Amino acid sequence: MTATPVPAMVELQGVAKRYGEVNALHRVDLSIAKGEFVTLLGPSGSGKTTLLNLIAGMIAPSSGRIVIDGRDATTLPTNRRGLGMVFQNYALMPHMTVFENIAFPLEVRRLSRAEIKRKVGEALELIQLGHVAHRKPRELSGGQQQRISLARCIVYNPALILMDEPLGALDKKLREQMQLEIKRLHAELGITMLYVTHDQDEALTMSDRIVLMNGGRIEQQGTPDTLYFRPETVFSAEFIGSSNLIPGTIEIGSDGAYALKTALGSFDAPAPERAMQAGEPAVLLVRPENMALADAATPASVAGHIEDSILLGGVVRHFVRCPDGSSLIIQELNQPGRPGAHRGEAVRAAWQPQHGRLLPPAPAPAG
Amino acid sequence: MNELFGSSRLARGLVASMAWLCYAFLLVPSLIVIPISFGNPGQIEFPPRQFTLELYRQFFTDPAWWGSTVQSLLVACLTTLATLVLAVPAAYALARSRLPGRGGLQGLFMMPMLVPVIVLGLGLYLQYSNWGLLDTTAGLVLAHVMLTTPYIMVSVMSGLSHSDVALETVASIMGASRLRIFFRVVLPQLKASIAVGALFAFLMSLDEVVVAYFLTGTDSMTLPVKMYSSIRWELTPVLAAVSTLLTVLSLLIALGIIAMQGKTEASQ
Repeated sequence: MTATPVPAMVELQGVAKRYGEVNALHRVDLSIAKGEFVTLLGPSGSGKTTLLNLIAGMIAPSSGRIVIDGRDATTLPTNRRGLGMVFQNYALMPHMTVFENIAFPLEVRRLSRAEIKRKVGEALELIQLGHVAHRKPRELSGGQQQRISLARCIVYNPALILMDEPLGALDKKLREQMQLEIKRLHAELGITMLYVTHDQDEALTMSDRIVLMNGGRIEQQGTPDTLYFRPETVFSAEFIGSSNLIPGTIEIGSDGAYALKTALGSFDAPAPERAMQAGEPAVLLVRPENMALADAATPASVAGHIEDSILLGGVVRHFVRCPDGSSLIIQELNQPGRPGAHRGEAVRAAWQPQHGRLLPPAPAPAG
Repeated sequence: MNELFGSSRLARGLVASMAWLCYAFLLVPSLIVIPISFGNPGQIEFPPRQFTLELYRQFFTDPAWWGSTVQSLLVACLTTLATLVLAVPAAYALARSRLPGRGGLQGLFMMPMLVPVIVLGLGLYLQYSNWGLLDTTAGLVLAHVMLTTPYIMVSVMSGLSHSDVALETVASIMGASRLRIFFRVVLPQLKASIAVGALFAFLMSLDEVVVAYFLTGTDSMTLPVKMYSSIRWELTPVLAAVSTLLTVLSLLIALGIIAMQGKTEASQ
């Protein structure tokens, strides 16, 4: 992807993991820059946890090389990789107080008692939990426990902090607070973080870069912006954000302009990033927020009728059934006095042709 | 139960009285020694017709009784310690590793539970007579370690199954060595299960009679063996006092085990 001037903290070179006949991870090349916040995003079974465990050294790669902080760590045991990790279930030591939990990695590093006291105090300050230092983890709420487990990582300044769905056990509101807290700590301390999640919102909120995984491969990687606005595959488009996908075949005009011939009509579209041939099958992506309800026909619009209309607070989402049976989603800002859309009402779903994006068709499911 | 016996008052009364009869059947023969122990110092007599602590005085002052008591306590302590040192790391290794032949090893550790004690006693007797271990404290402790190992293993393995492996993983990621993880992360969480296992082992060794009868002589005789031979040869009522003391000690240890088990569950 984009060349980074910052040196790499983690570098995976052709790393693969096989269990017998099953390929949990195909050859993956991935580089994480110092101070970067990278998210591994993907459905379960996409290989993101395998990748994390490989970096942590809990499993050994079948092939390839892992370099951490300039050092070949492929065969280095877990406890000598200099990493930190935050687990979904916190993994705090139940028999230790909060203070002792955070002091543990410093004890391992044989720091003096005074220095341990100072550093633990600073870490607790950072997460604003100084007042619970002498309690046991089970006396704290889930959110507090997860902040303690973060402090336990931050306190010894590891090369890289791995986070395995760290917010999965928290409720929605707390999750959003913690997302911002983790982002703040990342910005303040400049720690390199590798975050694993299956939650696209979390990935979009937090990451410098998202690595989207699918079936043991990297499907696409880039900034949240890139992944949202310039998905390269149908999988990427569907996994991040919601999307309207209209299948058809490519038409190229005499002036070289692209259009897609579909069951709903022929629509102009910007040229795809990778050149396509006329007659080739393709899919037109239009994000729901780039579609609007229109009365009159425009060059890019489809007639249909409203099947349902739901209110999501700041936005309204209309589901429009098209003549060929397919369905489109339209998302509009919610404004006071907005004319109601009634079920069954005949409407047109319209969009600006330049907001469309041509993608190669999804590969037929294997098997 | 309810479906089986119906819910009529008569049926419930019957069930309750049967339960009490069973308790009585189990308990009365043991409890009968208590009044006897405070009674006639000349001969065993029930119901006792006097109250005196003479039998207890005899027990604590007679070096033959008191000596075998100290020997029993010593053997029980050494057995408990040695079994802990052996069984706790073994249980940890079996629970956490993916050794080939793990199941077989585990079975091997459980074997002493299945071999009839009398067979074990005979086998050890024959073997020890070659090795000169008969009538030694070391020999008896060794035999008791064999008997108590499976119990501590079971207790520790059940404790381990309640402890989260992620804690060991996270400690390793934080840089801790295996040794440190064992002592700082694993052992503290097993405190209660180890204590339960240890009390159990102590109790087993303390009143083990079959193997001890085979292996001990005059130099290393334990209390249960002394009691058994005293029944055979002299039948003194001091036995009642000894039995009462042993019962009380066992009861205290059992209560300790129950309290510990309550604690393990509360901490989960």
